[in-house]
Amino acid sequence: MNLPIPYPDPMPLPAPVWLLRTLLLLTFFLHVLFMNCLLGGTAVALVCTVRRKSSAFSVRLAGDLGRLLPSVFAFTITLGVAPLLFLQVMYGQFLYASSILIGVPWLAIIGMVILAYYGVYFFSMNLSTTNRHEKKGRTTVVLALVVLLLASIAFVYSNNFTLMLAPERWLDLYHSHGSGWNLNWSEPSLVPRYLHFVLGALAVSGLGLVVMGLRQQEDAYRQWLIEQGSLLFTGTTLLNFGVGFWFLVKLTGPVRLAFVGGNAFATSLLGVGMLLPLAAVAHLIMAKAHKSPKRQLVVGVSCGLLTVAVMVVMRDVLRNLALAPYFNPNQLPVAPQWGIILLFVVLFIAGLATLYYMLRKVAIATRVQAAAAQKLQ
Amino acid sequence: MNYPVWQLGFPGGLLIAAVAVLHVFISHFAIGGGAYLVLTERRAYSQNDSELLGYVRHHSKFFALLTVVLGAVTGVGIWFTIGLVSPEATSSLIHTFVWGWAIEWVFFFVEIAAALVYAYHWDTLDRQTHLIVGWIYFVAAWASLVVINGIITYMLTPGRWLETGKFWDGFFNPTYWPSLWIRTAMAVGLAGIFGLVTAMWEPPALRERVVRWAGWWLVLGIAPLLPLSRWYFHDFPSYSRAYFSGMYPQVRHALLGAAVCTGVALALALLFALLRPKVMNPVIVAVLLVAGIGVMGSGEYLREFSRYPYVINSYIYANDIRIGQVESIAASGVARTSPWVEGSAADPRADQRHYGRQLFALECGSCHSVDGYRGMRKFARGWDAKFAGEILLHLPVVRETMPPFAGDAHDRAALGSYLASLAPAIPSGTNDKEIGQQVFAIHCAMCHSVGGRRRPLDLKGTDPEAIAGMLGTLSDINPNMPPFTGTDAEGRALAVYLSNSSQ
Ligand code: HEC
Ligand code: HEC
Ligand code: HEM
Repeated sequence: MNLPIPYPDPMPLPAPVWLLRTLLLLTFFLHVLFMNCLLGGTAVALVCTVRRKSSAFSVRLAGDLGRLLPSVFAFTITLGVAPLLFLQVMYGQFLYASSILIGVPWLAIIGMVILAYYGVYFFSMNLSTTNRHEKKGRTTVVLALVVLLLASIAFVYSNNFTLMLAPERWLDLYHSHGSGWNLNWSEPSLVPRYLHFVLGALAVSGLGLVVMGLRQQEDAYRQWLIEQGSLLFTGTTLLNFGVGFWFLVKLTGPVRLAFVGGNAFATSLLGVGMLLPLAAVAHLIMAKAHKSPKRQLVVGVSCGLLTVAVMVVMRDVLRNLALAPYFNPNQLPVAPQWGIILLFVVLFIAGLATLYYMLRKVAIATRVQAAAAQKLQ
Repeated sequence: MNYPVWQLGFPGGLLIAAVAVLHVFISHFAIGGGAYLVLTERRAYSQNDSELLGYVRHHSKFFALLTVVLGAVTGVGIWFTIGLVSPEATSSLIHTFVWGWAIEWVFFFVEIAAALVYAYHWDTLDRQTHLIVGWIYFVAAWASLVVINGIITYMLTPGRWLETGKFWDGFFNPTYWPSLWIRTAMAVGLAGIFGLVTAMWEPPALRERVVRWAGWWLVLGIAPLLPLSRWYFHDFPSYSRAYFSGMYPQVRHALLGAAVCTGVALALALLFALLRPKVMNPVIVAVLLVAGIGVMGSGEYLREFSRYPYVINSYIYANDIRIGQVESIAASGVARTSPWVEGSAADPRADQRHYGRQLFALECGSCHSVDGYRGMRKFARGWDAKFAGEILLHLPVVRETMPPFAGDAHDRAALGSYLASLAPAIPSGTNDKEIGQQVFAIHCAMCHSVGGRRRPLDLKGTDPEAIAGMLGTLSDINPNMPPFTGTDAEGRALAVYLSNSSQ
């Protein structure tokens, strides 16, 4: 059969593939971390507002999340832009085609992001300005909508990033709905892949709670945060073993084979990707019994984050395996724009320094204020 | 050809325009507003004006909310949209400028972080540091304009890039500088509008002070627009400067709109912000806001229209077909070029109209709808398939804004039969002159006018017999003219009409 795969752009790649791929994976890793904290964080905030009557800590956590989430949202978006850029350079002909086929849901992401973003702000501002009960009820509804929106956005992403790997399905979708009212329902791995991501997001936000706990001065609240976070991570991660297995089973033959022995790199990634979360869970559980659990917790959280990194690389390996019959970016002509790449690197470092400057100033000032407040008491 | 077409039911260009105007408005406002906030804050400190400080403080949150959310996300939105509507051109932009975008992303990142710190840490940071953060915000925001401006102007005037293919040749292209300063001036003006809008929430005494202060911004932003636009226009490609000669009513209207909006805004700013700030009220502010959107909107429209028939001047047409491709598509046919079309024009069993409809989506749909904006049904009223197939050979003559049709004779026949099926009509009337006028509308009016600006025909008094004879030789008179395909009776009626009409 003739597949309608567009030819790649006639222009050469403006940088070597290794550089583009490194930046893609690096920025995507950061995007995923923030996205997970956003998706999981809003879900946790929702649970907290529902439980606000029975648990004082829940009220407090909702407040803390309300302060954090708007910034987390901003960085999720900003950090999503960069991988999209690098992805388009390397895999544009697949991504543009699949995006057009699901044009309506794909563009709807923009509207959904805006709505969800304002929803998060609504939640955040209502926490600080009022305590009236009716408003709280409304906050719960808004938060629930935000969670729903974010989950839908993630679902559209899963659709597009699976559809771009399946050119054999494109023509049917195009000729049935050229208007872009499509989703990639006939993809066997769609649902497990999506669930795998969502459960992963909840797990990572559990790690986020643990980190929040570690930074907390007050003992009881600290304890509670760490406990809840560990519980969330452990529960969702154990479930995710099942879902991950389901995902693996639903991959197309050759790709699956690569992960179970056919390809040494893919297989060892899978192995490491299964050991790391186990190590994370083990450390979080051990920390419970420990008197000064900080070390265990830090190791646990680090293993969790490493798991995410491994998953990000695995996802890339999966993409390349799935596209291997049609395309390999390493075969594209390359004409690196080194001068501008250098300029980018310089500005990037300057940007990080500026960021560091601002955050440090805020941190110092916050500490000074907290100390002053304590003195007053 | 390379990609599927997103069949929206209306021209994709319209969707881009809708998202872009919203984004352009907010993002320019985000740049100017940054400077406005810091300078107002500084002013409040130096004049020890705690009311004014309270005002900036209060509105900085609203500002962050608007720019960080709507500004940033609609920017991503444009990017999504152009990828859906013009994937080939988007891919080309990304390949040329990916590092420009990467640099812009750095600024974007710093900008967002600074906006959040600025708006939420009035109490935490000392004055000096807070002001510095404000400046960081403004510089990062303006720097992202410095970058994106190179990419936007490149599409209209790629300049030496067309020969060298070098990043910097495309980036610092002929319209780079005038466009940068126009956009900067607009940002300053919009900051003034932001100041006025927010001033309306303040008590009278403070309001008056803020109105006068914001008024200066507005005036300062508007005043240089006219000379800057002339400079900008001077560097336009010559083909698109011709669009401004009066031939295109839509261009005339947009120019008029821009001029009226600018004039009204300047007059209102001088009168009610600088001279009589007491009088300024929400209604006037609303008018200013609308005028601001009007200036931006018509400016963007003119810039987009000037780029027609290209999306990237002399490189890719607005229907996403590469210039270099047109010839090869004409040789091999669309069906063999695009894997996305169903059926084939050469296959006599295939449904020609269905095939033609796909060609319409592929080659015309980015600018024309069927019934709505630039609706084809109204343009093709009365066409027969033969005439439609002929006219497709001359699209750039019909309008300079149109790319040539790319396809072989089968493709033209198929698209022609689809176009002819849109609004079949037989000229009818009580006398030859009436019928002749309709024949003219069907066969000639897309290229000629009688008593108008477009290739006026003045055959008054010419012998109808001679005109009728001439109709058989139109392609000999000028090879850009399709042969007359009407019946003999229609030809005679047309001749009567022409010999009786003049300027
Ligand atoms: C780059 C955008 C663009 C593309 C692509 C395009 N057109 Fe046009 N077309 C225009 C513009 C602009 C006008 C002028 C419309 C107006 O004056 O309202 C026009 C006018 C026309 C007219 C004349 C209308 C009249 O005044 O009678 C015809 C016929 C026409 N187009 C047919 C086509 C066909 C057929 C295609 C596809 C093969 C096509 N166009 C593709 C932009 C485009
Ligand atoms: C595709 C566009 C097109 C169409 C349709 C068209 N013409 Fe023309 N016509 C031209 C062009 C181009 C010229 C060359 C003169 C010019 O550019 O003004 C021309 C020249 C002429 C001239 C010579 C005018 C002169 O001043 O030398 C006559 C007469 C004429 N056309 C009549 C007609 C009639 C009658 C019809 C309708 C049956 C028609 N044309 C349809 C494009 C067109
Ligand atoms: C704000 C809510 C968002 C959520 C919940 C979200 C969620 C996700 C999810 C679940 C995936 C993985 C999909 C899969 O592989 O199955 C993903 C990937 C991705 N997202 Fe986001 N996303 C969000 C916003 C954005 C934005 C605004 C952008 C860009 C402008 C973006 C860019 C990307 C990119 C480029 C990838 C894929 C990277 C790759 O394939 O290497 N995301 N996102």
